[in-house]
Amino acid sequence: MSNYFYVAPEQLIKDRAEFAQKGIARGRSLVAAIYDKGVILVAENPSASLNKVSEIYDRIAFAGAGKYNEFDRLREAGIRWADSTGFTYSREDVDGRALANYYAQHLGDMFTEGQKPLEVEILVAQLGNKLRPTKLYRVAYEGTISDEPRFAVLGGDSETIKTRFALSEESVQPLNVTLRNALNALAGPERTIPAVELEVGILEDRGHRRTFSRLSDDQVSELLG
Amino acid sequence: MGLPLFSAHSDPGPSFWHFADTSGLTSAPNATPSDFAHATTVIAVRYQGGVVMVADRQATGNFIASRDVRKIEPADKFTALAIAGSAARAIELLKITQLSFEHYEKMTGSTLSLEGKANYLSPIIQRNNLSSPLIVVPLLAGWDESNLIGRIFEYDGAGGCYERFDFATIGSGSPFAEGTLRLGFRSDLDREAALELGALALYEAGDNDPSTGGPDFVRNIFPMMVTLNEAGFQELSGDEVGERFRVINERRTQSGGVAGGALR
Repeated sequence: MSNYFYVAPEQLIKDRAEFAQKGIARGRSLVAAIYDKGVILVAENPSASLNKVSEIYDRIAFAGAGKYNEFDRLREAGIRWADSTGFTYSREDVDGRALANYYAQHLGDMFTEGQKPLEVEILVAQLGNKLRPTKLYRVAYEGTISDEPRFAVLGGDSETIKTRFALSEESVQPLNVTLRNALNALAGPERTIPAVELEVGILEDRGHRRTFSRLSDDQVSELLG
Repeated sequence: MGLPLFSAHSDPGPSFWHFADTSGLTSAPNATPSDFAHATTVIAVRYQGGVVMVADRQATGNFIASRDVRKIEPADKFTALAIAGSAARAIELLKITQLSFEHYEKMTGSTLSLEGKANYLSPIIQRNNLSSPLIVVPLLAGWDESNLIGRIFEYDGAGGCYERFDFATIGSGSPFAEGTLRLGFRSDLDREAALELGALALYEAGDNDPSTGGPDFVRNIFPMMVTLNEAGFQELSGDEVGERFRVINERRTQSGGVAGGALR
């Protein structure tokens, strides 16, 4: 007779969740927030080339926290999904909510059926227009999807950062104020983060089809004043 | 379609065409030769500081199907793709190309080199033209951001890609446009001279080729004129193009309808 150890499903889920949380906590955090003209994504990222924030489609951006190789693969899948959906139907049919749902399903599947859960948290940001609202969808490692009203924090220590940001920004602000608040929330009272260690992307209407742009170190410094 | 995830060894990389192919988004051509192919004239002329492109606006089957077709489109900010051949296949090629350049940019975080863009199209044209009677022949021109020059790439029916250092033409009106370009081209053309030469070459093609639409003064539909330079893809306004063709037309009337003297 083979050895069969019973593990209660509660225990199994708890172990997997702890494993994923630990992995995510090792990485640095990021803040995404809605400002008066768009959406800003601010990540603490010492690397200038391994991005945490990127463009998915005309009005959709992606941010990932946790294990780089895992969320980067999800980013690529998101771009492929968006480009092929737009190719098959029309550009306006590419919906951030649909993408966030696919991410949630995949992360949920990996959490229960995979060899190991993915150690990532991701965010799908959508800039609104006549067809759709501006939205921040946060997808957790086990596939929980949440529609964050004004801002979202991803990565380790997210609760503390969330509280700090909520206290400093009570309503929707202009870009420079939101950037400053995001930076302060990420750094906390004891630390300062130099502009070169920030990765900042925005979604904003500037008369072009593609609304995503990366802010350079100089632009970030200038906005911070 | 669900989330398109791949394992490392089967990943199609940043090429949208390869991805579309593996996921069945594009189907292999399977059509009869009776589908209409549109005849055309498209011209690209290199000048000091960029490239000028000119194209007629007429889609021709057994009759004139449309008088205001756009045969040059921006493939991205610094690249233009012009098309001749089967309208359906050409438009799909255009769509795939535009999407592919953007897809590559988003996937890798960097833009393709101009030569990379030109080479990318070769296998796509090859597969289409060697497996379908609906032939498509594009013309790619752009501003090369790494070498700071305008460059022109033409293709043969089997997908071969050739760089042209002076000018290139595609479509049924090519022989007439080519003749004008051969007489008028100089290596030191500036933007204005290149626009003038390109317009004249298109005028000749429209004059002699039944499937090329010349300037339409009745409907105020004029050929497309585009420049590619350090500022990127820029299209001349309808009024400006109309004015250029009015001048040529006037000159032609004065010379009694013969082309002589036009290339002063």
